[in-house]
Amino acid sequence: MAGKSLVLWSLVLTGCNAHQSALAPFGLEARSTLWLTIVLAAGGLVIALGVAAIYVVAARAPEGKLTHESGMRLVLWLGAVVPTVVLTALLIWALPAMRPLPAADSDLRIRVEGEQFWWRVTYRQDGAEPLLSANEIRLPVDRTVVFELTATDVVHSFWIPGLAGKMDMIPGRTNRLVVKAEKPGTYRGVCAEFCGLSHALMAFDVIAMEPAAFDAWLAEARVRPVGQPRERGAALFAREGCGSCHSVNGEQTARIGPDLTRYGERLTLGAGILAPTAADTAAFIRDPQRFKPGARMPAYDHLPQEEALALAHWLKRNGKPKTPEARP
Amino acid sequence: MSLHDQDDPALRAAQERRLREVWAPPKGLFLRWTDTNNNQVGNWYVLTAFAFMLFAGVLALIMRTQLAVPDNDLVGPGTFNQLFTLHGSVMMFLFAVPMFEAVSIILLPQLLGARDLPFPRLSAFGYWSFLLGGVFVSGSIFFDAAPDGGWFMYPPLTTRTDLSGLGADIWMLGLSFIEVSSVAAAVELIVGVLKCRPPGMRLNLMPLYAWYILVVAVMILFAFPPLIAGDVLFEMERLLDWPFFDASRGGDPLLWQHLFWIFGHPEVYIVFLPSIALFAMLVPTFARRHLLGYPWIVLAAVGTAFLSFGLWVHHMFATGLPKISLGFFSAASEAVAIPTAVQIFVFIVTLWAGRVVWSTPLLYATGSLAIFVIGGLTGVMVALAPFDWQAHDTYFVVAHLHYVLIGGTLMPLFAGLYYYWPLVTGKKLSDRLGRIAFWLVFVGANLCFFPMHLSGLEGMPRRVFTYPADLGLGGLNLASTIGSFVIAAGVAVIVLDLARSPWRQRSPRNPWQAGTLEWLAHPEDENWGIRSIPLIESRYPIWDQDDFVRKVDEGRYFLPDAEEGRRETIVTSVLDARPISVIRLGGPSWKPMLTALALGGVFILTTYHLYWAALVSGIATLVMVLWWLWTGTAEIPEKSCKPIGHGMELPLYISGGASPGWWAMFITMMADATAFSGLVFGYFFFWTRHEAFPPPELATAPGMAWPLLALALGLAGWIATIAAREVHARGAIAAARMLLIFGLLTSLAGVPAGLAGPWLSGMDPTANSYPAIVWTLAIWTCLHAAVAAIMQAYVLARSFAGRMTPHHDADIRNVTVYMHFFALTALVAYATIGLFPEMA
Amino acid sequence: MTDERRKWHERLQVTLWTLIVPPTVWAVHFLFSYLWAAVSCAKAGVFAEFPTLFVIGTVLALMAIALSGWIAHRQTRQRGDPPPHEQGTDIDRLRFLAKSTLLLAGLSFVGVLFTALPVVFIGDCR
Repeated sequence: MAGKSLVLWSLVLTGCNAHQSALAPFGLEARSTLWLTIVLAAGGLVIALGVAAIYVVAARAPEGKLTHESGMRLVLWLGAVVPTVVLTALLIWALPAMRPLPAADSDLRIRVEGEQFWWRVTYRQDGAEPLLSANEIRLPVDRTVVFELTATDVVHSFWIPGLAGKMDMIPGRTNRLVVKAEKPGTYRGVCAEFCGLSHALMAFDVIAMEPAAFDAWLAEARVRPVGQPRERGAALFAREGCGSCHSVNGEQTARIGPDLTRYGERLTLGAGILAPTAADTAAFIRDPQRFKPGARMPAYDHLPQEEALALAHWLKRNGKPKTPEARP
Repeated sequence: MSLHDQDDPALRAAQERRLREVWAPPKGLFLRWTDTNNNQVGNWYVLTAFAFMLFAGVLALIMRTQLAVPDNDLVGPGTFNQLFTLHGSVMMFLFAVPMFEAVSIILLPQLLGARDLPFPRLSAFGYWSFLLGGVFVSGSIFFDAAPDGGWFMYPPLTTRTDLSGLGADIWMLGLSFIEVSSVAAAVELIVGVLKCRPPGMRLNLMPLYAWYILVVAVMILFAFPPLIAGDVLFEMERLLDWPFFDASRGGDPLLWQHLFWIFGHPEVYIVFLPSIALFAMLVPTFARRHLLGYPWIVLAAVGTAFLSFGLWVHHMFATGLPKISLGFFSAASEAVAIPTAVQIFVFIVTLWAGRVVWSTPLLYATGSLAIFVIGGLTGVMVALAPFDWQAHDTYFVVAHLHYVLIGGTLMPLFAGLYYYWPLVTGKKLSDRLGRIAFWLVFVGANLCFFPMHLSGLEGMPRRVFTYPADLGLGGLNLASTIGSFVIAAGVAVIVLDLARSPWRQRSPRNPWQAGTLEWLAHPEDENWGIRSIPLIESRYPIWDQDDFVRKVDEGRYFLPDAEEGRRETIVTSVLDARPISVIRLGGPSWKPMLTALALGGVFILTTYHLYWAALVSGIATLVMVLWWLWTGTAEIPEKSCKPIGHGMELPLYISGGASPGWWAMFITMMADATAFSGLVFGYFFFWTRHEAFPPPELATAPGMAWPLLALALGLAGWIATIAAREVHARGAIAAARMLLIFGLLTSLAGVPAGLAGPWLSGMDPTANSYPAIVWTLAIWTCLHAAVAAIMQAYVLARSFAGRMTPHHDADIRNVTVYMHFFALTALVAYATIGLFPEMA
Repeated sequence: MTDERRKWHERLQVTLWTLIVPPTVWAVHFLFSYLWAAVSCAKAGVFAEFPTLFVIGTVLALMAIALSGWIAHRQTRQRGDPPPHEQGTDIDRLRFLAKSTLLLAGLSFVGVLFTALPVVFIGDCR
């Protein structure tokens, strides 16, 4: 019942956006916060209307209608006592809700580092070798997941509105955000703290998967790509020195730019801003500033279009999912 | 009073002629700008702040146009970032705070029946600083060099010189300059409220506006200095590479956030309370009765002021601090809603008990209360951390803060504009245009900002120059954009109304039939403010005291004359406003403007790394200040007492705790001590951030010996000054001079001794946050020692020049106040850097 | 109640400085709570099972506020001029300051209780 009305409520408010909205939760924390939101908004509406009604009565009352004593009693009760009681109740509700979800050491840990203007993602679990990725987060539903959040250059903030509240990423600190997704699907997260020129262009895709599908994906992703086909794209990648910033083989060595090992399965290009078509990929390579002002990647505008395209096609084949089901 | 002297019309005319002459504003194209009278300076101040508001409003319109449709490219991100940074900074620093100070400079002397504020030249200095700094900061956008790091300027984005340019320095230095002028105005207003009330105006008869101003000015004293401390650290990092906010060298970006928001949250109340103060003046007028619950308003104002300093971390709920710390701030943020609710209900019951007279000002007040209540309620929402984690840094917060500031600052100011325009110009504004403007602003504000609640919750972060179409927020944003232009139309109507004012008919004096003292004023009056300074027996003297206006006008109260041709006003006691003395006020002068120019030079030249020029400018500032003090303060009067009427005689010279100058020094030093405590907070903040602090390799630096020696020297100078004051008062002038010379030497010796600790132990301030903060504390204290030496030398010079005598010893008493604070600073600083490493 | 004691609290007249005693107590308690939590979390990493220090501090703060409120309350009851107590007399000025102090004591009392809530409902460093 409760769930249904919640869904209805979100439909009314969200219109078509259900992938990046605190009103369309897919995680435990966001869902309980939505309840808080609804109660607060409704209560606020009642109070605002009540004060307005009292104001109208007051303005229309004839002179002397209210004595000094009853006026002071009104101030005491409506101005002081009632707010105190209401606020106490709110605090008693909201303070315990601040406690983070409990997490065990065995839970999946996803380390996310904010960079101008993209996200370095590392999956860690139970001593298994960390898996490097970028600008896309996959997580299993119904399992507790711990995000470890930090930044390397400036302050960013990690926000997946449908999953949980935001948490800042601050150089020199590692913040934890414990979440539990509840509904599989594709969602979107954004940077919520102003971080420079392309702050508005710093987003990422979030893919909540059934636990089995997630485990399968993780296992497959852990297998390092071996023997990259000797294609023109690979040669170009080497010739242009792309590898000094981007890794394409799952190695953790080149960490300056986003990891491109499984670029082919990404839903977007450039941290959530473009469709990852080969044409757009090539255009991005030739002129990153056009799409992402302030990005640190130099423009490869000396590459002829067909070379850029060849590079893009090759990148897009990296980590291409073997089975269509792996994509939600 | 039948035998009163004032019955003689010829005498009255002669008095008026003398007053007119004394208070006449300087004339001439250039000379008129040397005026220091509160009416002129206040008007310039208001007009300048209003112009900055219009400017920041235009910036907002450009932003809203860019955001009208998704994926728009009217302006690029570089411009957009400058737009929102400047919009917020200008509205806060160049409109809201200065506007409150400007309005107070106009109104306060009228409300207090004083001829002017106690330090008119300080007001003028504040104005010129504000104008210079404001033009410097906001003009930068025309050179594409405006600050672009947000009005909160979070490092490392803003401190890394590879990521941010000149704009960051312009923000930091330009606004530091303005903060100085804000603190100056606060000093002026506090002393004005406490010491310049008319006889009989005890604390419980003070107009509520004055209560609010007192509270807000005290808040400025404690809120702005932490930001100034933050600015100091910030510029040390930007200009000298001292790593306060650089995590890789032991700094922490969060330190800035703490210092900024310790300022930033009280700031919200600093701009909100004066607007509520305007309500407290106009609600009784239009309810035709005394305000009910006067002590409740005082409770609300004082309570809000205190609580507002316990809210700063609610801007940092998402920074990952321990949840329990967040809990404290969440609780305090809820508690602050209580005094706010009290104020709203006090106004409501006053209207209820009275006979409401509908008028344009009351319409604005009503509309702003409606908007403010919504903003307050969303404030209660975001004060709860779980909700804030969703709403923080989204358009929900944009909606919330604009509801609060439009309902709590902008529209109350418009109410005040319509209410007080006749007081300043003698002409009422148009009710018809006023109402049209009201409805445009009211509807526009709701249309603009209400949808933002939704767009925020639907995932739209703040400070984005665009948003993707598939977010589905195009409709809401378009509505907001349309709303913003409707507000602009409303403001345009107001501007039109103001522009037409000179051609309107004069309104009668006190057109709203108000009961408070400021309505004695009439623009046909002269510059003297008030014809005679009344004896106050009621909160609403015009309503309650018999024949009040006539008696004031006929000079039947105090100080109806200016026999000696000096600008004068009465100083009274703090609690009960008993007359203490008559003080002479500074008249028109170039000095405030030139001092502001010189000081502005220090900040502006530093921005462009012209350090030698800045140093010259700094020395010029010092010379100007000393010249100003030498020629304009603690002047020995030609006679000891003067009659003020009704057989009362008051002294013309006072020193120590009863005098305005002593209070001004005390209050200034409170601000100084607060800034210093911001730096000390930095030291201990780093201590909590590091396992080992000081870092092991620096554990013995700066050592104990030098800091303790410097401390001993500082304390010796302090004791010598106190002793000098005491023996001086007993007539032993030679002994006092010897003690001052001794104090001067110890203060001077304290400078190298203070720096020797970090210097000789080879602490490299660019290596780590520990040496950086130790150096900062040492330099701060040594600068204060140097200023102490200058002050002691100044007092000596005054003594030798015969400008200070045992009976006229304000100078040494004021310097002793400085020395108390200096001793405290030295004690805390040297104990921290010298002894704490031994314990930690 | 002995004469001695009555004299003691009647001698304590409210002034502008005593007006800010209750909110100052709130501020000191608040700062103490914040620093205590920040330092224990940053330096020790944990809280005591039962935060004795905090409980003592809170009780002391509440007592100080209640005491100043009580003294102020006594002074609002002083006989003198008739209501509405807004004349320019000594007694009305005293009553005004006393009333304001009393109200501030009420607000500060609630404020201290609010500050204690997080310790009850959160109570650890996570």
